[in-house]
Amino acid sequence: MKYLALVLLAGLPLPAFAKINVVTSIPDLAALTREVGGGEVEVESIARGSQDPHFIEAKPSYMLKVSKADLLVLVGLDLEVGWMPSLIQGARNPKVRSGEKGYLELGPELDPLDVPKGKVTRAEGDVHPNGNPHFWLDPLRMGRAAEILAKRLGELDPAHASDFQKRAKDFSEKMKNKVAAWKKRIDKTGVKKVVTYHKTLTYFFDRFGLENPAILEPKPGIPPTSGHIIEVIQLMKQQKIPLILVENYFDASVTKKIIGEVPGSRSAEVAVAVGGSESVKMIDDLYEQLVRAVEGK
Amino acid sequence: MRPFIARVFILLTLFPLIAFASDRGKALNPDISANFLGLAQHGTSYSDDRTVVPHNGLTLQEAELQFSADVDPYLRAVALLAFAQESGSADYKVDPEEVYAETIALPVVTLKAGKFKMALGRHNLLHAHAFPFIDAPIIHRRLLGNEGLNESGVSAAALIPVSWFSEFTLQALTLQNDALFNHYTSGEIGGLAHWKNLWDLNDSLTMEFGLSGVTGKNQFGRKASVLGSDLTFKWRPVEGGKYHALVWQSEYLLGQRPGLTDAVTSESTQKLGGFATWLQVQFAQRWWVQARYEYVGLPHSPPLAVATKESVLLGFFPSEFSGLRLQYDWLQDRARTRINDHAIAFQYNISIGAHPAHAY
Repeated sequence: MKYLALVLLAGLPLPAFAKINVVTSIPDLAALTREVGGGEVEVESIARGSQDPHFIEAKPSYMLKVSKADLLVLVGLDLEVGWMPSLIQGARNPKVRSGEKGYLELGPELDPLDVPKGKVTRAEGDVHPNGNPHFWLDPLRMGRAAEILAKRLGELDPAHASDFQKRAKDFSEKMKNKVAAWKKRIDKTGVKKVVTYHKTLTYFFDRFGLENPAILEPKPGIPPTSGHIIEVIQLMKQQKIPLILVENYFDASVTKKIIGEVPGSRSAEVAVAVGGSESVKMIDDLYEQLVRAVEGK
Repeated sequence: MRPFIARVFILLTLFPLIAFASDRGKALNPDISANFLGLAQHGTSYSDDRTVVPHNGLTLQEAELQFSADVDPYLRAVALLAFAQESGSADYKVDPEEVYAETIALPVVTLKAGKFKMALGRHNLLHAHAFPFIDAPIIHRRLLGNEGLNESGVSAAALIPVSWFSEFTLQALTLQNDALFNHYTSGEIGGLAHWKNLWDLNDSLTMEFGLSGVTGKNQFGRKASVLGSDLTFKWRPVEGGKYHALVWQSEYLLGQRPGLTDAVTSESTQKLGGFATWLQVQFAQRWWVQARYEYVGLPHSPPLAVATKESVLLGFFPSEFSGLRLQYDWLQDRARTRINDHAIAFQYNISIGAHPAHAY
């Protein structure tokens, strides 16, 4: 009888007092949902900030979380392709299937970068055919994501639609103002080019006018080889690249050798998601930490 | 033209129709992927005859073609065709290894119909390319056959509303499995129940425990059954989890096959139980080392001998889509003529096409 009641209730709108139960794939989207949803939402992320979101294991306990969700918020662009389909199928929750109101992929709505041109082949490594998924590292795209999210939350809880829209607008404005300040600080450093481990920081660099001419992975998903590291060292010397930022779920030990070979260069391990380090608790903290890493603080 | 070549020819002629459909049509094409396993092996008990499985030397162990897509707002479907060598011949045969539809729009329960791997323990659900070792455990092959328990049937799997992940599955199946039932009377069906539980012991460690059982009439008109239990611990640290992981899995099966007798003495060989336990350690981003111990004959009818097997494996995975594995086995069978076998195998595992969603 309990299940029959659940089936009958599945199509009804949320009661006025109920919070919207939101599950997100990554903690940054959980933080964004808290910004927009305020006290009207309960939010939980599947991935932790210290984990590579490409390779989360589809634990059945995560299926339980998704089974109780009113809204599932994803990055999309194939970031979660190796694990989220199993969670959705195992969750047995028709509300959060693709195409339903409870399913939201933000990445495709936010002008993805690095969309491959021509034939896509895995000879180029683990490429994303629809573009680079790491959009949450651009504060302005997160502002737009907040507005899309507010619209969807408003559809699920019309009584609070205006609250969601106002919070999203406030967040978006705050990001615009902060971007201007962060840009000034980055420009002041004189750093123009940065090496990273993976193409994670593409959106951050694009927003703040930084170039990313070399990646420590020879191809996406392939760990650094000695031959490739020698090429990176030569490039850093030729182009006078002063900085390596290593996303902190990768092994940063390879950078010691590079720093030793390239005079005047330095490296830093950075969190690339909310919760990725103790100091990164909110979305603002994430960008502030990255700006400070470029500043060398 | 040989039947296998004819089937491959038909598939190859169909592929361009799929691949070069209009963009609109392409968007609705199923996800398509192919996987194949190549093997080079030598065993002291393996045959040099290419028509025998397993045989010494190089071989294509298995190839799989998988198509999957949502059918409509209510169902998704999977069709997985496997190409493997037919025993007694050097030819390959095509087998609809899994072809089923399952519900996507029902809360709490998933209903499934078609031909699929039955939910008997954990290992029986795996395809050959996802086996933790190159071969399946001996007790699985002795009780369920080389292909495992993979039958036509219907299934209902429901989440139990408790604080941990708990799933109860009931399945009805045909009784064609040669090793366990070999019963071809239409209308006769068997039943299977599986209870799976998983707990997060902490953020990095899970424990899974399952109980399962299957029963049905065999070729002697008597009820054959297999009961199973499985226990798995998986550890992957929240920090550094790209580089280190550990899996310890054990599975026990107990088969009752009334009517089966020893070919020489005609004594009953009804009862046979055994377990396999293995440890998998990831020690670098792309490297795994593994060890397995198997004991068959716990319990066993008197004519059946106790057998033990020890295996070690080193795996290197250049990417998510390719893998190389080297395995050594030492098998001891305390039969009337004692057997003491050694085998070494090198396997490559290749996947192309749609990115797979990995099971836990």
